[in-house]
Amino acid sequence: MNYQHPQPQPPQQSGEGKHDDDAAVTEFLASLLEYTPTIPDELVEHYLGKSGFQCPDVRLIRLVAVATQKFVAEVASDALQHCKARQASIVKDKGNKQQKVSALYCSLLTSII
Amino acid sequence: MNNGVANTHWDSEHSPTRRPIANEFGRTVSRVAVAQICEGVGFESFRSSALDSLADIAVRYLCDIGKASTSYANLAGRTECNVFDIITALEDVGNFQGFMGASEVGDCIASSGMLRETIEYVDISEEIPFAYPLPWFPVYRERRLIPSFSQMDETPPADHIPYWLPALPDPHTYKQTPTWNERKSKQQTDNLEQVRQRRKVERSLLNLQQRLAIFGPAGAATSSFATNESVRGIQSVQGNPFVDPPLQAGEKDVPAFNMSDMVKGPGKDNDISVFKMFGPAVEAVRDQFSDDADKDVNDESKALPFKGHAIHFKFKSSKKVLGHSMDLGLLNRHMEKPVSGRVPGDERDEKKRRAEYILRQSMENPQELTQM
Repeated sequence: MNYQHPQPQPPQQSGEGKHDDDAAVTEFLASLLEYTPTIPDELVEHYLGKSGFQCPDVRLIRLVAVATQKFVAEVASDALQHCKARQASIVKDKGNKQQKVSALYCSLLTSII
Repeated sequence: MNNGVANTHWDSEHSPTRRPIANEFGRTVSRVAVAQICEGVGFESFRSSALDSLADIAVRYLCDIGKASTSYANLAGRTECNVFDIITALEDVGNFQGFMGASEVGDCIASSGMLRETIEYVDISEEIPFAYPLPWFPVYRERRLIPSFSQMDETPPADHIPYWLPALPDPHTYKQTPTWNERKSKQQTDNLEQVRQRRKVERSLLNLQQRLAIFGPAGAATSSFATNESVRGIQSVQGNPFVDPPLQAGEKDVPAFNMSDMVKGPGKDNDISVFKMFGPAVEAVRDQFSDDADKDVNDESKALPFKGHAIHFKFKSSKKVLGHSMDLGLLNRHMEKPVSGRVPGDERDEKKRRAEYILRQSMENPQELTQM
């Protein structure tokens, strides 16, 4: 892998900070090998390949997969919060369901875009 | 995002005649993955349309990250992406809520807020592996290319056609060329052969019927393949000699047999010469025969001089080979044995035996071949 250090470095950050960050990154990337993201590697590679992403390193693929998973999880948790808020206001005796999807999604999507 | 589907009805996925969407496999897989993530978040049930939308969003996010990181890598003069390219791309595409330190420019990328958040997420969230094992996709198939002119060892018909282009199709594919009709003639000969064989069968059947009609149950014995002359002779012992089955050549041995009889010529039966040849062979049944009357019933055809030049009177083209037995060696020396009847069936066996018989004959008496 190609570790390129960016040139403009603030003087506050000492070498140890750099090393910490680097260490954190390397450690994180190493931990990614054990962690299996929910989005499978094959799917991620397929869509990254479609957009021109070229990398043989599995860790980077996993990184992208994890980032996407985080994104989706955040969207879902927001939707869940919306849903629960509505349920609390409507007070219906129903299970935890995702209802009125289109409305929810419009609100979410507008906030994203 | 149903761009490729003609039917945009909400249940388009469940209609049986649905046109396949592009990247359907990828979409389905992403649907499953997103559903798993949502389940981990806390949802219990989903609307399929909502799930589809979320899966599409996830795929788009993925593609955006790829595009951005590729562009950063290209900007730096590389073709392969870096971890920093990815982090920068993540910051660009980012969460819709932003991240810590986004406003700070010039920070070390390694200390990016985005990355930190991702790390936190990995630490906090429980690992949910994908539900199904996936093959590597997309699957590439070997394409069978049309061979080029050089591969087919053909020269292009005109100068303007380069040799590395695919070869032109064979002329028989687009116009009528003269056919090679050996097959047709073979068919004709096959038909002729079949007709001939059928005629043979019919003839032998007729013959059998005639014999049965003439001689009754005793006549069946003469037409059986397996009997040899001596056996037949034995069978005829019990019956009335006048209604005995006709004797084949060499079947019966005349007790008062000598050369002088033959020399006397036409007055005597012509088959005496034959009997002489079969003397040793039929000695066992000689005493049982007392009657010469039946001798010449069938033996006119076997008019043979003593010397042994076989005059072949063949009224059938095939020869009865199965009937030959221990007398065969003697028979072959001096005469051809015409076939008087044949049980139908076993034509192939008969042909084989005929071939063997011919071989034997040719080996034992080359003279006879000239007369055949």
